[in-house]
Amino acid sequence: MTRISIFLFIKLIVILSILNGCSNTSNSFSENNDPFETLNRNVFSFNKYLDKKIISPISSAYVKKVPSKVRRGISNHLEWMDTPSTIINSVLQTDLENTFLASAKFMLNGLTLGFYDLDEGDTKIKKRDFGSTLANLNFPEGPFLMVPFLGPKTTRDFTGTVVDKQNLVTLSSDSINDLSLAEIPINLVDKRGKMQKTIDNIYLSTDPYIKIRSYYLQNRRNDIYGKEYINNKNNNLDSEFEKLLD
Amino acid sequence: MKNFWINKKIKKYLSYTFLFFFILNINTFKSFSDNLEKGEAIVQQMISEAQKHAIDTINLKPSERSSKIELLIKKYVNLNFMAKATTGSFWKKASDNQKELYKNALLKQIVLSIEEHLNTLANLKYKPLTSEKRGKKLVYVRGLIEDPNKQKPNVNLLWKLAANKAGSFLILDLEIEGISLVSSQKAEAMSILRKNKGDFDVLLKDMNKD
Repeated sequence: MTRISIFLFIKLIVILSILNGCSNTSNSFSENNDPFETLNRNVFSFNKYLDKKIISPISSAYVKKVPSKVRRGISNHLEWMDTPSTIINSVLQTDLENTFLASAKFMLNGLTLGFYDLDEGDTKIKKRDFGSTLANLNFPEGPFLMVPFLGPKTTRDFTGTVVDKQNLVTLSSDSINDLSLAEIPINLVDKRGKMQKTIDNIYLSTDPYIKIRSYYLQNRRNDIYGKEYINNKNNNLDSEFEKLLD
Repeated sequence: MKNFWINKKIKKYLSYTFLFFFILNINTFKSFSDNLEKGEAIVQQMISEAQKHAIDTINLKPSERSSKIELLIKKYVNLNFMAKATTGSFWKKASDNQKELYKNALLKQIVLSIEEHLNTLANLKYKPLTSEKRGKKLVYVRGLIEDPNKQKPNVNLLWKLAANKAGSFLILDLEIEGISLVSSQKAEAMSILRKNKGDFDVLLKDMNKD
């Protein structure tokens, strides 16, 4: 079964690479690539309701009651559990340095099951997922999506998330799969706790949906495309700013 | 003999030209470094004032605290620029009164977001990193917010500044971990303006709702 899944995964990569040859490879970014805005806004309202009624109260209690050292340990462990995805995608992106660093850190922190960062955060690893691998293969970003429970994504990143989860299921044993399933709600509460002020601030804004879309797209593009994209973006903004200053 | 005088003249002209460009370059370089220093100093000064303010005003009423933050923002931020930059081509179509109201609404939003983080800011440390002259008018100042107790991750900041007509440097935009405040505000304002055919009153109503 596992062999068949790995074979399917490799086949998917090959098909995607071939399809990539047919796709538009120019990295043009639009803030308004949101053809499903009406549907997305409905999903956003649902997610917001869920957040206000369930996730936010739980995460507030989690932040208040659980000591910060314990929370940090849990965050470290969840991050450690995500590292295999970074390793696989660093290999696919031929980023050897990141592959090596992520593997070394994964093995080192494996001694504590990731609860304690033995490296004390000195090694900076770039988080890599299948969405960024697709971007690396010049796949277009696609329309913006608001996914129930998962929040903001682009079509490309949503595809990436699905493939990453599939990889984990394929490559891990049943017990690890059960553990990672159990960790989904903990991860949600932990992330919400860390971003409490930012999210509450977004809800207070004039149009929270647009604000979250803007934050997500800016952050994701910076992460994926790095320095080159940031420089181009700043050059464009500079000329826009200079015109306004005249 | 004639050649000797011609050569001497050429040498003289070349020396003057060289001297002229040398002085020009020194001045340009000096003005470049002056602007960078001014930009860095403004950011440093604002951070120190905000931190002092966070401690001094902790026992004040929320409204009094807000009005103090407003003064701080008016002193360091080019609100007129931000208002123009966040409304694009619609800015020209707004009346003077709508422009003023929009600037006030924008100010209130900035105050609100600063208030949320003010208490945290008091316990953090700002570390200046680099500064860079961009184009003819802009200066970028990069810095880092660090938690001395290492409980929170570092936050990268990029301040974009330019001198106003009076020559004092003001903040045009702030990028927190690569997320531009002007770009986010612009996305919001433009979405509302586009949907309402550029009607600023609708935007103002949305911005002022509680």
